[in-house]
Amino acid sequence: MKVVTGVVGNDIHVVANRLIELSLHARGFEVFNLGVNTYLEEFFDAVVETDADILLISSLNGEAEGWSREIKILKSKYKNLDNLVMVIGGNLVVGTASPETIVPKYKNYGFDLVFHQVDLNTGLDTLEEFLKERNK
Amino acid sequence: MSKEKLLIDVGSTYFKVSTSSSIKQHLRDFNKDIFDDLIYKCGEMIHNYPKDDVYICSSANGGLSTLIVGLTHSFSLKYAKNIAFNSGINIIETVVYQDIKDYSIPSDLIDVVIVVGGINSASNIFGDDLYSYLEKLNYSNIVFVGNKKDAPTIAKNIENLVVLPNIIDDKLHIVEENLKEYLTNLYQADIVGKEDIKHLYDITSNQIYSTPYIVNKTLPLIDARFSVVDPFILIDIGGATTDIHYSKDLVDNNIVTQNEYDRLVFKKLGVYKSKESLIFSAKNNEFVYELLTHLKVTENIFEEQSEKALKVLMQLAIFLVLCKMSHYKQAYINLKLLSVNSIVLTGGITKVLNKDEIEGIISFFYKKILSSDHNPTTIMDSNYDIWTMAITDKQSKG
Ligand code: B12
Repeated sequence: MKVVTGVVGNDIHVVANRLIELSLHARGFEVFNLGVNTYLEEFFDAVVETDADILLISSLNGEAEGWSREIKILKSKYKNLDNLVMVIGGNLVVGTASPETIVPKYKNYGFDLVFHQVDLNTGLDTLEEFLKERNK
Repeated sequence: MSKEKLLIDVGSTYFKVSTSSSIKQHLRDFNKDIFDDLIYKCGEMIHNYPKDDVYICSSANGGLSTLIVGLTHSFSLKYAKNIAFNSGINIIETVVYQDIKDYSIPSDLIDVVIVVGGINSASNIFGDDLYSYLEKLNYSNIVFVGNKKDAPTIAKNIENLVVLPNIIDDKLHIVEENLKEYLTNLYQADIVGKEDIKHLYDITSNQIYSTPYIVNKTLPLIDARFSVVDPFILIDIGGATTDIHYSKDLVDNNIVTQNEYDRLVFKKLGVYKSKESLIFSAKNNEFVYELLTHLKVTENIFEEQSEKALKVLMQLAIFLVLCKMSHYKQAYINLKLLSVNSIVLTGGITKVLNKDEIEGIISFFYKKILSSDHNPTTIMDSNYDIWTMAITDKQSKG
């Protein structure tokens, strides 16, 4: 399966991004890593060009929420993204908040899976289970 | 090196003929074939040179135009646009494939259509919407540089489709070479393929190149003759087109390519052959009336056929080309014009306008459009050194 990944917005925290690429690769995904400093339109455009199944966005510096609010409008301009699995992880709020408030909020923005301060491997295990369920 | 060379530039309006001791220009006679006209005017001189020592370039028929159909702005369209620019091709329109039904069909004949999109493992991207759009479009050539898997089907549906390797690799990076070579050759073929130009091989045994190509080749050598301060732009205003060449540092663009200098050819901003469209663009620019007032003339000047009218048209061409490259107009490329240190002018313009007249326009532009007192130095290539420097440097291709 094909995954497009990267760090959204003006965020330059690169360490997690490298780890994500390696882990996804090790799990057998075909990875298109757009790196840090990636804008929403580039993510969706990359999904279109690669015909990817999954878009996995990370955000570490606190920009996630601002960008996420624009997702629905932007995504509605694309005609063939209905089956795309959307995942986000990292530090999804500025300051602290509980997953009970964060997760529903991001699902409402259009994400299928939301991992606020969740360890990468746990997150990717959950993703794989989600994909298995979905393809049943 | 010491051997005498004869350099000939066939423009849309003039011939320029240069020897080591002189440079002359002759207004073309449009009732005559290029070759006959040239022989009539300069035959005696030409016959003094062996074919090996005659070098010819031509811009007689402007540039090529393209329309690009691609999948996304961030990848396929961006990459194809970049390659088209580098090859000196005019982009008439870019079409995002998913919305292709919403685009109106340009009425002009398109020299080459570029279709692009998808990495090689993607497929079934293009289909009937593409074919029905192309059916209505008037074009001469078409090239597919998108995903490998779609190529056979598209080739079955579109006559004379040229298929080249994908310009997007499996890491979503740009691959320039194949398309660039194709477009450069097409441009070259367009110029020398004209019956008129082919005939010129009777007097030269060297390859005939397009003038913008030759000028672009000179840019890295420009320091040898002129005191230019980097970064610079070069504006070549001629009868059929206005070309602008610029160093890459001036573009906000993260695509890494090999060329140090790029160029853009504005097909519709010439002062003779495309005079009408130049005037049309001028009338659509809200600052032009103020500029005319500044030049102490009125709109009526457009109807005149005088030395003064020609000067004004050239001044407008400078202004319009700078507007087109600035952030004032969102174009394919916006240059960081506030960082420009020198503006070099070449072509017919150097014979018509003096330095003051040109500098007046440039500072008007910076004040009105960019609200700045920035004042790059202007350098006049009055002796066509730029054209003569690279034309004999024929091995430098590639
Ligand atoms: C190193 C670092 C920097 C370096 C970055 C160098 C670089 N190029 O990478 C520098 C100094 C440049 C920097 C700058 C800033 N930083 Co900083 N930085 C850190 C720091 C100390 C470590 C980050 C790191 O690399 N960790 C190691 C990696 C492996 O872990 P990780 O990033 O947390 O990722 C893990 C998980 O989040 C998860 N994950 C990540 N993405 C995803 C996605 C999915 C789907 C899943 C499942 C999991 C997942 O997987 C990873 C492994 O488990 C953190 C604090 C911390 N201890 O975490 C702050 C931190 C991330 N930075 C922070 C801030 C605020 C900034 C600045 C705004 C500071 C400033 N005021 O200038 C700038 C922003 C710069 C920018 N434009 O982005 C905050 C963010 C706060 C928030 N979100 O609310 C943090 C949390 C510090 C803090 N506690 O305040 N920073």
